Amino acid sequence: MRVEVDRERCVGSGTCELLAPDVFEVGDDGVVRVLGTQPGPADEDAVRDAVAQCPTGALGLPG
Amino acid sequence: MTVETSPSGAVDLDAVDLSDRDWWAGPPSVRYATFAALRRERPFAFFAEPELPGIPVGPGYRAVTRYSDLEAISSQPAVFCSGRGAVSIPDVPADLNEFYGSLISMDDPRHAKIRRIVSKAFTPRMLEQLLDWVRDVVADVLTRARRTAAAQGGAIDVVADIAAPIPLRVICDMMGVPEEARANVLAQSNVILSGGDPELIEDQDDPVSAFLMAGMELAALMERLAAERLERPQPDLTTALVTTEVDGERLSSQEIASFFILLLVAGNETTRNAISQGVLALHQHPEQRARWAADPGLDRTAVEEIVRWSSPVTWMRRTATQDGEVNGHRFRAGDKFLLLYAAANRDPAVFRDPEVLDLARDPNPHVGFGSKGPHFCLGAHLARRELAVTFRALFDRLPDLEVIGEPDRLRSSFVNGVKRLPARLTGVR
Repeated sequence: MRVEVDRERCVGSGTCELLAPDVFEVGDDGVVRVLGTQPGPADEDAVRDAVAQCPTGALGLPG
Repeated sequence: MTVETSPSGAVDLDAVDLSDRDWWAGPPSVRYATFAALRRERPFAFFAEPELPGIPVGPGYRAVTRYSDLEAISSQPAVFCSGRGAVSIPDVPADLNEFYGSLISMDDPRHAKIRRIVSKAFTPRMLEQLLDWVRDVVADVLTRARRTAAAQGGAIDVVADIAAPIPLRVICDMMGVPEEARANVLAQSNVILSGGDPELIEDQDDPVSAFLMAGMELAALMERLAAERLERPQPDLTTALVTTEVDGERLSSQEIASFFILLLVAGNETTRNAISQGVLALHQHPEQRARWAADPGLDRTAVEEIVRWSSPVTWMRRTATQDGEVNGHRFRAGDKFLLLYAAANRDPAVFRDPEVLDLARDPNPHVGFGSKGPHFCLGAHLARRELAVTFRALFDRLPDLEVIGEPDRLRSSFVNGVKRLPARLTGVR
């Protein structure tokens, strides 16, 4: 699965980092980044949860 | 002792005035019954603004009590802005803006850029590294509380001896505020979030001056620390505020002062009230207390439920930037909305048995840290850690803590504050 970060919207609330710590990390610039390449099937539920719960709607699952 | 009752009694909504701060110091059962009636019958109820000497009275506001309406407004920050004031019902006078015009009352893109300066420090990963330190702070505070109790025949105040010092020490350490300045930080934060409570604002005819003085005190502290940090940077948040550039420029002194004040005040007051209200709630629900004490596996959901139950910040304000309609309610540009998180957090459309304290509640999509939108609580993960560590330590170190009187509630609509909560340690002889 592919997850996109809208860097303008993200305020680094860390909600995704809490829900899917293997996939997301807030960087020193206060904006989240996707760790590694892209999340694998094992992380799918956590990633969907993070996308749904992101307060700023900065995460998207294109396609 | 009064226990929160289910809001089944009839409420005369025509007699309710959410702008009357004495009403907010009244029994929670009345408050929640009123919220229930508002949700059912008047989801966008109109209220006249509170009159504060020295501040012009504005056009009034709508109280948003349903979860779905609150979320719809919160998630459209371009239509419902924060920039005209988020923490005050009247528009804030320009001279107060110097100290209180922080990012909480700012809109994107500036808001996001400034917030990101400190975002990293409040992430779950960073806070994981601070866990042992938070445990040490809590252990030390509770050791002192026991000593205080021993010197007073067992008596302690949950607020002064437990709930206030824990978040004060945590946020002051993160900010780099030295020991000797902390009592003053606490005193000034109390004034700033007093809601005008006469105990904290002596001159009731001139609350604006009291708020100005408190802001000036904390700004003076910031200026002293900022000068030191520019000389010798430290691994603290104050250094980040004064050295980080946004759009190629350092923050203005107004931005630094108001951000500094926001972090101190918000870091202090909210978690303190969550702890105080949590201790009170567990006292009123001994079976839930016993359940949590026996099961550390409950920490995660219990902390969320304490935040839902207590809703430490009762509301934030939004102002419409244009005419429009939200969930069938038509509004005009300039209309003010009070997002009553405390009401949404007991909306039966979202929470089953919302008037029941259920420490295992899961899922628990409460809005105690705010709803959707860019202003979601910066300190949410920190607060969760502090609460989890504090309650576990209370069970382990002060198992004999017993609340013995009524809480003295803050006369404020804005924070669900407790000024004093008398207790004793029954193990002290």
